[in-house]
Amino acid sequence: MEENQSKSTEQLSESRFQVSRSTLLIDSWMGRIIRLGGISVVVAVFGMLGFLVSQIFPLFSKAKVEPLTLVDFTQASSVAWGEDEYGELPFSCDTKGNITFRKAKDGSLVKTWTADFKTTPITLEGQTTPAVSIPVTAIKTYPRDGLVLLGLADGSVRELKISYKITFAKNGIRELEPTVDLQYAGKIGELNGPILEAWSVKGPEGKLYLSRQQKDGHDVITGRRLVERKGLSGKAKVTVSEPFPIAADVTDLERVLVPSTADSILVIRKTGEVRVYDNSENTFSLMQSFKPFGEAKNQTIAAAGFIFGNVSVVFQGNQNEEVVWSLYPQKQADGQLLRRWGKIHDCETLAGVGQGIFPAAGNKCYLSVAGGRMQIRNMTNESIRWEGAAPASPIQQVVFSRNYNRFSVLCEDGKLYRWSITDHHPEASWSTFFGKIWYEGAEAPDYTWQSSSGSDEFEAKYSLVPLIYGTVKGTFYALLFAIPIALLAAIYVSHFLRPEWKNVIKPLMEIMASLPSVVLGFLAGLWLAPLVDTHLIPILCVIAILAPSALLAGYVWSKLPQPVRRRVGAGWEFAYLFPFIVLCAYGAWQMGPLIESTFFTVKDLASGQNISDFREWWRQSTGLSYDARNSLVVGFVMGFAVIPIVFTIAEDALSNVPNSLISGSLALGASRWQTVWTVVVPTAISGILSAIMIGFGRAVGETMIVVMATGNTAVMEANPFNGMRTLSANIAVELPEAAAGETHFRALFLGACCLFALTFIVNTFAEILRQRLRERFKMN
Amino acid sequence: MSNARIQPRPVADTTGRPDFISIKNFGFWYGDKKALESMTFDIPERQVVAFIGPSGCGKSTLLRNLNRMNDLVDGISHEGDIAIKGQSIYDPGLEVISLRRRVGMVFQKSNPFPKSIYENVVFALRVMGVNNRAVLDEACETSLRKAALWDEVKDRLNDNALGLSGGQMQRLCIARAIANRPEILLMDEPCSALDPIATGKIEELIHELKTQFTIVIVTHSMQQAARVSDRTAFFYLGKLIEYDTTEKIFMNPGQAQTEAYISGRFG
Ligand SMILES: Nc1ncnc2c1ncn2[C@@H]1O[C@H](COP(=O)(O)OP(=O)(O)OP(=O)(O)O)[C@@H](O)[C@H]1O
Ligand SMILES: [Mg+2]
Repeated sequence: MEENQSKSTEQLSESRFQVSRSTLLIDSWMGRIIRLGGISVVVAVFGMLGFLVSQIFPLFSKAKVEPLTLVDFTQASSVAWGEDEYGELPFSCDTKGNITFRKAKDGSLVKTWTADFKTTPITLEGQTTPAVSIPVTAIKTYPRDGLVLLGLADGSVRELKISYKITFAKNGIRELEPTVDLQYAGKIGELNGPILEAWSVKGPEGKLYLSRQQKDGHDVITGRRLVERKGLSGKAKVTVSEPFPIAADVTDLERVLVPSTADSILVIRKTGEVRVYDNSENTFSLMQSFKPFGEAKNQTIAAAGFIFGNVSVVFQGNQNEEVVWSLYPQKQADGQLLRRWGKIHDCETLAGVGQGIFPAAGNKCYLSVAGGRMQIRNMTNESIRWEGAAPASPIQQVVFSRNYNRFSVLCEDGKLYRWSITDHHPEASWSTFFGKIWYEGAEAPDYTWQSSSGSDEFEAKYSLVPLIYGTVKGTFYALLFAIPIALLAAIYVSHFLRPEWKNVIKPLMEIMASLPSVVLGFLAGLWLAPLVDTHLIPILCVIAILAPSALLAGYVWSKLPQPVRRRVGAGWEFAYLFPFIVLCAYGAWQMGPLIESTFFTVKDLASGQNISDFREWWRQSTGLSYDARNSLVVGFVMGFAVIPIVFTIAEDALSNVPNSLISGSLALGASRWQTVWTVVVPTAISGILSAIMIGFGRAVGETMIVVMATGNTAVMEANPFNGMRTLSANIAVELPEAAAGETHFRALFLGACCLFALTFIVNTFAEILRQRLRERFKMN
Repeated sequence: MSNARIQPRPVADTTGRPDFISIKNFGFWYGDKKALESMTFDIPERQVVAFIGPSGCGKSTLLRNLNRMNDLVDGISHEGDIAIKGQSIYDPGLEVISLRRRVGMVFQKSNPFPKSIYENVVFALRVMGVNNRAVLDEACETSLRKAALWDEVKDRLNDNALGLSGGQMQRLCIARAIANRPEILLMDEPCSALDPIATGKIEELIHELKTQFTIVIVTHSMQQAARVSDRTAFFYLGKLIEYDTTEKIFMNPGQAQTEAYISGRFG
């Protein structure tokens, strides 16, 4: 019996220390799975960050420019050139007007076209004067329109149309067959002298031909319009206007700039003065004159060119000047706001005498040549896209391809230098996103976000500053509303309210936290915003009365005799406070209209009568705007979204303060509030801080409420009565319309990165603060 | 068990009011559960009274009633009355806070606030609205000296109190409790977590404090009760079995239960 017993104890003790294989197996496997989970979280976060960075990285890269094959036209005096859409078959024009087509691939000659214009043979008194050749005296090509305009010695012009016919050879190879057709022949002015320069532009009213000729020892400019009207029969009827002089008052003409829209003409004088002639009625009249490099400087203008869009001109001087002038509304002496030319950019430029400004097509870049170097610059943000050596021979004409992937330089020696250019985001630079930029048509440099418009000629405005501002503003108003309420509620519920109430309120708040923000945004936009709009003053009165009435209630309470107070059990004080506050709030609501009519009465501009309307008062007395969907509504509703999470986490932190500390404090004669304020809150401070941070994170990233409850205008005003556009709302609103890979798309990702950085920085600071506080109020 | 520290028997101070704390027919319930049977006895001024009895017999409950800390518990009720200096602590006109300022308390488990040593000691003064630095400094030093802690912490008053040892923390809690000079000091097993040396220090401290305070101490150590107290109350199952001078209780107990408990036959 004894033996048996001792044996069984032995057996028991043996097996007691054995660990079953399955326990070990599960333990090791769970360890692995948990580690895997942890690693994949880290990988996912870094992957996301990596993706964001990879999306925004191309924004900050410069243009890549690589030389293509050179085409040698072997014409000693090439002056102008053009090419087909794909740049396969460029042509050049020599001073005689002869046109040579060569293949870009190998430089082989395809076609030559010889200019031969003859006078019409005239028979006068039986004697016939034979037709003689008229020499070409002026040549201008419009490469993107396939036009060549020739000015002749007799004062007439010939407009040639270059077209390319695509044929397929037997072996399936695509061949281009160029043709040259005469499109217009005629005189512009009455003068018979040689044409020195000619222009052909197509405005909304029709074609405009301009010529420059010599008369009385100085240059004169003559214009003539061709207005084409489609008749009822569908047949076009062309009316040719009478010739009219332009800038007849200018005798020292240096250069003329004609925008392709033909609505104004810039005449540059030898003194460096620019005179602007605007299209009015049938002629052009002087609108403005200015000196681009400063009124005091009599600096000649070495080169100038219209930028794509035809509202800005780049002027290049002889002494490293490069300025951009543009049309924008300016206040005149008589107080009127008129569109006039003014300087909007002053660039650092290439050293040396300016040799040319050549705009790109389709964007706001231009190539400037000076001192043997070439530079491609974006006008909007002044960033230099590329810089390189210019060909040795004098440059005649530079043409960018339509989609900004190629540019070619024709030199006087007949060589066409060609480069490919890879620059996907010319409009992106650090200053585009974060700097003040003077956009075309704007009255001053500003931070603007406006990513799209109906026109191609529009400068996309990608400043993230107003969005960051809007994010901060929305967050500020939301937290201003949410943090005090959430924290005070958490303190109240955790340490003053009776536990049975607490057990109801906490789950309720958690349900509130899971309310979809779309629903909140919907309520904000469709219910609260109209309500606040019409009852603003009563609502503000109610909000303003809450805290004072609570304080008053507390004061009255403290004056009540102890026996009365004792009748209200601990944790039931709200039953006393609540009716008091409700009564005060109701009174304030009723007082609202009275307050509005006593303090906010203004004269209505429309009817001229006195009205009591805070909205109108605000507009008139502060000069700021008032929107129905304003920051107040957003702050209120976003606060509503933030309160539950802040409350829940703060309440947990406050409830977790050990009871022994609370009874210790109470036993020392501290009141409940003193206990909470001096013992509980400092002990729970790191948890409270976490709650605030999580609330901040929610408010910063909140999207739907902002989208639905504000006007989403990217304004930068602290004004509580207008809206904002936040980074997150911006992404939500615009990402669907942004094409992957384009600047707009990447700019949105940059906004996402900024949002990330914003929360990261704020959270890091909060975490450091939290660690410090935790160190200070450490509980062991 | 060890008698290494031989304490001189304190001489009972009989100059004070004999019914300084007067407990009259006091009974107490936690909800439906009766924790204290009706009991009546007086605690004289400037004496040390020890509450002894087996675990769960209601010593802490009675102690916590003396400064109404039990108010924090839900569903309590009482009968009878407790009066301090003749005034009932349940008097509707009496503010609980002022009662607690009069009756200091040291808990069984030390509970210093996560603040500096200095702030812990002056806490009671701060909540009374004292902000004069000189007054606070002075109170801090005298309390810490009385609690026999001054020499150990005088150079680190601004350190976190949670960095102290268990015994130091308990003495800090005592210093904290006497900083605002209460009249009565309640101590719930103040030495239960302490080593003999710290225990000795606290007992010495009780001797010194006795000259100014009326002290009620709950203890499980018979030796301690015998060493420090002038009077002893023995409780059993929520009933006051016997209350008399310590000498009488330990030398010549009137009840068989008391004798059995003291001699270690149950408990
Ligand atoms: N907060 C409470 N709620 C309900 N019952 C309680 C509460 N506190 C104590 N009790 C009960 O009251 C009785 C007396 O408890 P008390 O803490 O006074 O005992 P004690 O004598 O101090 O014991 P110990 O020596 O173990 O500390 C016990 O039965 C206990 O379970
Ligand atoms: Mg106890």
